Amino acid sequence: MRNLFFGMLCLSILSFANAQQTFHINGVQNTNNNYYAFTNAVLHVNSVTTLENATLLIKNGKVEAIGQQVVLPPNCVIVNLSGKHIYPSFIDLYSNYGISEEKKETSPSFGPQYENNRKGAYNWNQAITPEQNAFEKFSIQPEKAKELQKQGFGAVLTHKHDGIMRGSAALVTLGSEKENIEIIKNKAAQAISFSKGSSTQAYPSSLMGTIALIRQTYYDAEWYAKGGYHAEFNIALEALNHNANLPVIFDVRDKLSILRAEKIAKEFNLNFILKGNGDEYQRLKEIKTTGRPLILPINFPKAYETGDAYETKNLSLKDLKHWELAPYNLKYVNDVGIEFCITSFGLEKPENFLENIRLAVKKGLTEQAALKALTETPAKLLNVYNEIGSLEVGKKANFILCDTVVFSEKAIIYQNWINGKPNIIKPFEPIEIEGTYDVNIKNNYYRLSVSGKEEALKGSIFLVEKGIKTDTNKTEVAIKQAEKQIAFSFTANDAKFKGLIQLNGNIYFKSGIWEGMGQLPDGEWIKWTAIKQQNGKEKNTDTVKVKTHMADSTQPGKIWFPNIAYGWDTLPAAQILLIKNATVWTNEKEGILKETDILIQNGKIAQVAKNIPPPLNAKIVDANGKHVTPGIIDEHSHIAISAGVNEGAQSVTAEVSIADVVNSDDVNIYRQLAGGVTAAQLLHGSANCIGGQSAIIKLRWGKVPEEMKVENADGFIKFALGENVKQSNWGDFNTIRFPQTRMGVEQVYYNAFTRAKEYEANLKIFAPKNVTLSKKQSKKITYQPPFIPVRKDIELDVLVEILNQKRFITCHSYVQSEINMLMHVADSMGFKVNTFTHILEGYKVADKMKTHGVGGSTFSDWWAYKFEVNDAIPYNAALLHSMDIVTAINSDDAEMGRRLNQEAAKAVKYGGVSEEEALKLVTLNPAKLLHLDHRMGSIKSGKDADLVIWTGHPLSIYSKAEKTIIDGMIYFDTETDVLLRKRNEAERVRILQKMNEAKNKGAETQKPKNRKPRQYHCDTLNDEINYDEEL
Amino acid sequence: MILKVKKYTFLKSGILIILYTCLAESLLSQPTPAPKQNGHTLIKNATAHLGNGFIIENSVIAFENGKITLIGDARVVRLDMSIYNRIIDGTGKHVYPGFIATNSTLGLIEIGAVRASNDQSETGSLNPNVRSIIAYNTDSKIIPTVRSNGVLMAQITPKGGTISGSSSVVQLDAWNWEDAIVKEDDGIHINWPSMYSTSGWWAEPGEIKKEDSYAAKKEEIIKFFKEAQAYCNLSFHLEKNLRFESMRGVFNGTKNIYIHANYVKELADIVYFKRDFEFSKLTIVGGYDSWMLAEMLKENNVSVMLKRLHELPERSEEDTDLPFKIPYLLYKAGVLFCLQNSGDMEQMHTRNLPFLAGTASAYGVPKEDALMLITLNAAKILGIDKQCGSLELGKEATLFISSGDALDMLTNNVEHAFIQGREIDLNNHQKDLYEKYKKKYAE
Repeated sequence: MRNLFFGMLCLSILSFANAQQTFHINGVQNTNNNYYAFTNAVLHVNSVTTLENATLLIKNGKVEAIGQQVVLPPNCVIVNLSGKHIYPSFIDLYSNYGISEEKKETSPSFGPQYENNRKGAYNWNQAITPEQNAFEKFSIQPEKAKELQKQGFGAVLTHKHDGIMRGSAALVTLGSEKENIEIIKNKAAQAISFSKGSSTQAYPSSLMGTIALIRQTYYDAEWYAKGGYHAEFNIALEALNHNANLPVIFDVRDKLSILRAEKIAKEFNLNFILKGNGDEYQRLKEIKTTGRPLILPINFPKAYETGDAYETKNLSLKDLKHWELAPYNLKYVNDVGIEFCITSFGLEKPENFLENIRLAVKKGLTEQAALKALTETPAKLLNVYNEIGSLEVGKKANFILCDTVVFSEKAIIYQNWINGKPNIIKPFEPIEIEGTYDVNIKNNYYRLSVSGKEEALKGSIFLVEKGIKTDTNKTEVAIKQAEKQIAFSFTANDAKFKGLIQLNGNIYFKSGIWEGMGQLPDGEWIKWTAIKQQNGKEKNTDTVKVKTHMADSTQPGKIWFPNIAYGWDTLPAAQILLIKNATVWTNEKEGILKETDILIQNGKIAQVAKNIPPPLNAKIVDANGKHVTPGIIDEHSHIAISAGVNEGAQSVTAEVSIADVVNSDDVNIYRQLAGGVTAAQLLHGSANCIGGQSAIIKLRWGKVPEEMKVENADGFIKFALGENVKQSNWGDFNTIRFPQTRMGVEQVYYNAFTRAKEYEANLKIFAPKNVTLSKKQSKKITYQPPFIPVRKDIELDVLVEILNQKRFITCHSYVQSEINMLMHVADSMGFKVNTFTHILEGYKVADKMKTHGVGGSTFSDWWAYKFEVNDAIPYNAALLHSMDIVTAINSDDAEMGRRLNQEAAKAVKYGGVSEEEALKLVTLNPAKLLHLDHRMGSIKSGKDADLVIWTGHPLSIYSKAEKTIIDGMIYFDTETDVLLRKRNEAERVRILQKMNEAKNKGAETQKPKNRKPRQYHCDTLNDEINYDEEL
Repeated sequence: MILKVKKYTFLKSGILIILYTCLAESLLSQPTPAPKQNGHTLIKNATAHLGNGFIIENSVIAFENGKITLIGDARVVRLDMSIYNRIIDGTGKHVYPGFIATNSTLGLIEIGAVRASNDQSETGSLNPNVRSIIAYNTDSKIIPTVRSNGVLMAQITPKGGTISGSSSVVQLDAWNWEDAIVKEDDGIHINWPSMYSTSGWWAEPGEIKKEDSYAAKKEEIIKFFKEAQAYCNLSFHLEKNLRFESMRGVFNGTKNIYIHANYVKELADIVYFKRDFEFSKLTIVGGYDSWMLAEMLKENNVSVMLKRLHELPERSEEDTDLPFKIPYLLYKAGVLFCLQNSGDMEQMHTRNLPFLAGTASAYGVPKEDALMLITLNAAKILGIDKQCGSLELGKEATLFISSGDALDMLTNNVEHAFIQGREIDLNNHQKDLYEKYKKKYAE
């Protein structure tokens, strides 16, 4: 005890030293070295330690002592808490508190802006502003602070939520002293996001562009530090390097983007704290694997209005399921052991914060975990746990006082102390006047009923007449209460009085008796009294004990993979399959085999033969009368892509990659499985000459993007020619970007590859070498120019890959002149075009294509939609094929993708391709074009078991895919499909019923809405990051 | 002597024809419209798909002066072969009535992305007086590519605004639009207001929200109809209102009413609209949700031109094949409906109309009934079923022969096609290009 007291004295001396400030004081300095002691408290020191009957002693904004036997110094103000609770106050890491909104300059500009329009030595891109410092913009906002205090917050990490690299964030307390005092740490973190915000610059126009921009910027920063600063001064890169050691708050906004950010974190060894959007429960396993801490919002969606089946039909199951599961997110995240904090960001009303935290606790989040996520975790993530985040000695006196466990349903926060200064939220003992009163006005008895709390009181009154028990004369009363003073008035219209009666008075005896003066309609001033009726529904305030509320025992629906219609409860598993007695289209020299069996083991085709004896545990599929073909491969698809298929803001964007933005939540994956598609190349659009890299996926419905990608597949990239890249159909304002003609297109390629070659050469010449100069040599050198390393350029890196046959081109093309041109460019620059896609005039230059060795992936019969398809003919595939060019038919369309077998059949109709060869146009040939024919595209022992069982002839319009198998797993089955449909509908009704119940219990609702995700085509432009799509 | 002259003339004109054909091949990729039917044509032993739900496995079909003079079972009908100038052996082949592309913009847009070639939607909201027929380009290069798949008639339909204008029905082998007319101004087209609207813009669609102005927009249409009705009660006005004048046919029953809408609640409102105005018939165009109201539509004599089947489901959890099987659902309920192909690249996709019927059949509608969805049912809705739409005695000989099942792309192969008895040229510029390059590579 003595030691403790001694320690306290030392601290006081220290804190005296700390009390000096720079400010001028007008008048007498208000030095205050008094102590405050909060006694008889339930003290939650941190999430694990709770002390009963404890004392918290503070002084000068710091915790001086805690414990059950704290000796109180004499200069101490004592507050007896009589069992109330003390918590360390909460910390929000994703706030924009104190950062005022800047007005956006709105100059009407219709054309695209390709350069940063900020003047100065800034970054080339307007959305990259790491030089911004929140602490420079910070000013106290008392109103907002009050709102946050009411919710229990004591400190927030704040920054301006705008742009991709947003600069440094400041950690501030929510008090109302000077900014100089409230800022705890001026640069506590950096902030970045996937959203370009108010930047008016065209680039990036897609999520993949944003990812590329972030990566390039980090490489630029490395280059800059290693000597790039000799080449240029760059405010942004200076700042980025200067702040390199700060943790990074990354607003990723959804579950799949968490995985996207993780790739960046790994590439640059960065310390990311990821702000999600509340759907993390949908991909727990993968998110857990990242090991990154999360900042999670609790803006749970509102229930939808139910009762109109035609309207609710428009609601997607995705939204319905998310409504039900969102409140469980924190529980699920905590259960698997992911480190997380909680933000109030995104809440429609600030007061929903505690409400929603409590809902999360009700749904199973432990109170301990909730407290940790609001205090210790955020403090530790910012390395300020020595200052805030718990109530240990020496830390800031930032705490809240509550009547009970703060996470219980009706807990009241009375006070929020920040830096040792109180902010009163509610009086400890509020005077509640709810009840019925007999009011005596000049010996006339009125009965007054009052309901509600001090902020919103309601009342009604009527005259009690002898013998008549009637309240038909009831009049509304306007009533106001300010602690113990009361004022009410009503317009009487009864036997005694007619007109306005106004009464003022004071409250006595625990609100039981009121007394005061009043003015009657005739102007007379009178005395009046009111006595509370005892038989009313009076609350016995002494014995009210708020229970730690009951956990919600109802179970939510299962999380599906993905968590939308047709998602799996459990993912399909590999098994031994034996397909019996099928007509097998092998695509091999064996041709079409009748009454043949296919044995599938370990995801591969094990055997193709007649009468294969069934192995143990084999699932036998009777395919008598049915046809089996290799799975359909779509060489040109745009399904399953998040937030933009085109990075159309520049003519060369080799740096972007669809592989970064694969969206495993697209229902079109399932729909295409139903059409027999097993693999697809997801291509960048055709908005520019050199587009982005593609992703080759198998339609492994239910898996995450990384698992869908075909393992060890060669890399491809999209090129494009013609109207789209020269912006012919982009409207009259898009006439600036080079090229605007086919002439310019050629020059874009020459320029790009010339640069790439020089870059590659530079990389070799200026590769860092450890050359040590001899003394003699070094003496000779009188002047050494500053060393500027070669700047890593992720765009040119990809072009170098093309030159080195490590990446392959799929080029969108229409007219013969441009096809010819690109082959010339390729030949002279030393690379090959792998595939011309669309290639509608390919038939005109088939001989040249043959010589170049390029394949063609075309439409069956499209034309007449643009000027450049005037000479497109449906015989194109047949002609190319007849010239021994590897020819495929592709979709470029989410709907047609599920009928590619029918599109292949058109090659029989237009040009007389044989049926067997026609099937290859959508199976083996696209596999060849994608360099995957060693494992896909035909039915042969050892190849991937990617198969389709058709009800009949696979090219006939009357046939349907009955089972679609990938890696030996049945991903689509008409029988399962029927069950899934029923399950979807049952789930819909179950959740709607729950919403209805929630509404009846008073939950807020919103009108039903529909989300129809956009279907991408090649020329879908500027689909700026539309995150809603993914929620 | 006379005979000689005749022979000479014949020879000369024959040479001319050959010369002309050569010129046509090199200079004009557009086929020349066929002359009036001359003589009597017989198609024998083909499988005749009558378009009215019936099939004759081994048929005889004859036509003269553009009209069908005989149709029957080859095993029963006794033929006098001498009266036929031309006999086509259809053994193993299939005969179909010409397919009818309803709600089509064929000939109104040549190249989708070229604004100058776009004549499909007029500016302004209420344009009932606008007529598509005068903009219909008989020389569109798309038309020949459509005929060669069996589509021989079309309803040329204006788009845009609230009331888009009048459509007309044409046959697809004509020198000019007057020549093409089968039924002029067959009906007016209304785009019913939408209860839901998409927020955002085309590249960044937001959520689809309920449209608050729906009621007001609906009222605007009703008000226009009431005023037009009042105006039409007088047969003569000193000061004419062209909009109202064009509505006369609507109220005297000579013009159809086509209302374009898809959402179930809108469809129900349209049925009430029909009832309130006591229209004898009305057609919903689109009607994605129509199957949900099938009984109501049937009871109220509302027909449907069903939205393109080859589309994705509108709502993410709907059956993946719902668009394919809506025909079956309507068929089962006995609603009068046909298929149409309006949507992306609709002009060029007209040639895929037969395969919509094929899909309808694959998903439940019996094959011959599926055929009706692009033949007789379309004709009934358009009000031209007395003269065409099926292979029946006295009807126009607008038909074609395919070597295989014309509803399946695998087998659709049109060998001869006749419009009003005239055998049309099945060539098109795409075939020309095919032949040209095939020849190039053969050398």
